[in-house]
Amino acid sequence: MANKRKTFLLIWVLTAVGCLFVFLKYASPKIFQVLMAKDHPMPMPSTLMMWYMIMGVLAGLVYATTSNQKFADFLSFLLPGSGSLIKSFLQKMLFVGFPVLVGWFVYTWAIPGAASPVELRIQHPTLPQDFEKLENPLRQKDEETQRKSIEEGKILFQTYCRPCHGSKADGNGPFANSFRLRPINFQDPGTIATVVDNYLFWRIKEGAPGLPSEATPWDSAMPSWKDDLKDDEIWMIIMGEYDTAGVMPRQREKLE
Amino acid sequence: MIKAFKKGLIGFGLIGVGICFFWLCGEVSAQSSHLFRTYKHEVPQKLQETPEAVAEGKKVYEKRCWYCHGIEGKGDGPASKTMFPKPRNFTRNEYKVRSTTLGSVPTDEDLFRIITSGIEGTAMPFWNTISETERWQVIFYVKTFNEQFMKDVTAKVVSVVSIASTPESVKRGQELFKETKCYECHGEDGRGNGPLTVALQTEWNMPYRARDLTKGWNFKGGNTIEDIYRTISTGFNETPMGSYLEKLSDEDRWHVAHFVKSLAKDMASDVVVKVKLCENDQLPTESSDENWSKATAVEVPLAGQIIATPRHWAPSIDAIMIKALYNKSEIAFLLEWDDSTNKQEEIFRDAVSLQFPTKIPESLKKPYFAMGDSGGTVNLWSWKAYWHEGFGAVVEAPENESGSVIEMNAKGFKSVTIQPSESQNVTGTGIYQNGRWKVVLKRTLKTEDAKGDMQFEIGKLIPVAFAVWDGSNSDVGGQKSVSSWYYVSLEKPVPKTVFAYVLIAIIMGASVEMWFIARLRRFPPKLEEE
Repeated sequence: MANKRKTFLLIWVLTAVGCLFVFLKYASPKIFQVLMAKDHPMPMPSTLMMWYMIMGVLAGLVYATTSNQKFADFLSFLLPGSGSLIKSFLQKMLFVGFPVLVGWFVYTWAIPGAASPVELRIQHPTLPQDFEKLENPLRQKDEETQRKSIEEGKILFQTYCRPCHGSKADGNGPFANSFRLRPINFQDPGTIATVVDNYLFWRIKEGAPGLPSEATPWDSAMPSWKDDLKDDEIWMIIMGEYDTAGVMPRQREKLE
Repeated sequence: MIKAFKKGLIGFGLIGVGICFFWLCGEVSAQSSHLFRTYKHEVPQKLQETPEAVAEGKKVYEKRCWYCHGIEGKGDGPASKTMFPKPRNFTRNEYKVRSTTLGSVPTDEDLFRIITSGIEGTAMPFWNTISETERWQVIFYVKTFNEQFMKDVTAKVVSVVSIASTPESVKRGQELFKETKCYECHGEDGRGNGPLTVALQTEWNMPYRARDLTKGWNFKGGNTIEDIYRTISTGFNETPMGSYLEKLSDEDRWHVAHFVKSLAKDMASDVVVKVKLCENDQLPTESSDENWSKATAVEVPLAGQIIATPRHWAPSIDAIMIKALYNKSEIAFLLEWDDSTNKQEEIFRDAVSLQFPTKIPESLKKPYFAMGDSGGTVNLWSWKAYWHEGFGAVVEAPENESGSVIEMNAKGFKSVTIQPSESQNVTGTGIYQNGRWKVVLKRTLKTEDAKGDMQFEIGKLIPVAFAVWDGSNSDVGGQKSVSSWYYVSLEKPVPKTVFAYVLIAIIMGASVEMWFIARLRRFPPKLEEE
């Protein structure tokens, strides 16, 4: 029986390479989606894909040439002989398949490809100097006032921020789908938990139009609230926002 | 004889495999993903309903729910002012998604499902992010707002057993849709534009909107066939949507459900609107033109304009569909969106606008998506429904009047200018049919006004954004539904030479292969066992 397996060595190697391709193309985006906890598949970059495939083919060839016997088996598949029906079928398929594959490669390279948009943005522009020195006046007040401010802020957050950022501050408000740069999920520990109150004050007050030129408003839909909300209200919203999202602002380093 | 048969079999097999291969290659396409809230059916074991649980529920309610539903459960929380539909008033029995008969209160399980799932098209989020215990506790507390929960202890639940859909069933459902007068509210094509809905909405100013049955993602009680059947059977309390439990037999309700399910479509969303080359010399000028079937439709979700005051918190148009075609000299866009009325007033009129930057951006930097900014001008193509009546009149735009088109430039909300008449080169027509506006906008690819007009180039990604106004929702100016930047791309035609290259490649591949095999056969590898 061992002899039979050897007859089809070439086919097994080709099948393995084929499986590798299918795995990289269809299975790995799903696997990485689960591993990275994303809500969309993570497709393999095409250059990486090419390198993996080259390595896969080389590995197959290395395996096939580990001994003279193996190499002879490997090539002998292409020889005519007392083949079974399945062998002659696979042989013919290979003979036809190779030129078709070459033709297909040339076709995909030659047709005009549809460009797909590249979109990058500076995630975390630097806080402008004007806002650096500000202090949230409400954080200095007594506990009772602070508690009230948080509650006031939550009401304002639910009224004006909720349509995009969501009732839970998770970036899933009813309008969220409509903005291609999705509203930020404040529960994500990489967002408002990494900045101080001032930063949020700047972002709420100036919005996307107030972003510096290195992070110009290409797609951010964050409105500027400076004409509609008083400074106190913005500070309250910030406190309410942290509370709703269940995260804390970054603690300032103590200056000597 | 047998040998010839074998050869034939192998040949056919190969051709089949080849066809499958090419077919599979064509199937790969990109999709942009949205997070639509869907109705989830699973319910875990219920918690014991104790006074302690109710007290705990009160805490949850006053931490998470009251901002919208109000501290007394009247649906009048402080945040409700930026919402439409309004939050549920728990003191009344206006529960919609139930498994119980019309007029009854929902079961605890119904409430659990809706709290867990959220409701798409409303502000209700999905609360599967809090523990099951908390969800049960808050349900027990919410029930205390309405005495009926105490009275209707044994709720009569409508049973739902799935029945498979057949073309006959869908057809019968369509007949019943007419016979039972579903169209009076939902419209003949199910777009929520029936005469009763329009009357309630515009003349009576009632908050009822019949569901647009073509938008499958917006079904409040879920869009599976069982969900639709259940909604038809139970109806929605305190809305014009009644129960058809007695009016229609069980079988008939399944037929109607299958018909409704056949209307419901998913959103065909994509980031790039691919503009196909129209080989014919003439581009379609009417929305009814057959050539539009060649173009791929892209649907874009819209949000209220909330960037600048006056902000629009309650838009009525939540999606727009775009198709586009081009030829040697022109480009044409077909814009379609569902609108339950065609009523126009002098100021409040149905309208649509396409927005392009004035230049194709070289880098990633684009003008601000909301009407541009001081550093980036945008070119607006704006279509407005017909109007010729006097002040105060409300009329439907007649079908033979195609509306008016103007071209504008903007550098932000506050600096919008109408282009001079010699630069007005967009033409367009709009027609309202069965609850849907269909507007065609057309322009030459290049114009003389290179400063104010987008100059289209083949193969480039050209940013585009959309805005829609619904006159009957008092949309005007900044009060509109908007999208952020998407793209249009004029597809390069496949040059004929490609096929010559492919043929040469195949011949060369085959020759190399034959040479290799011939060589292999002349000098076969030595097998060690021989």
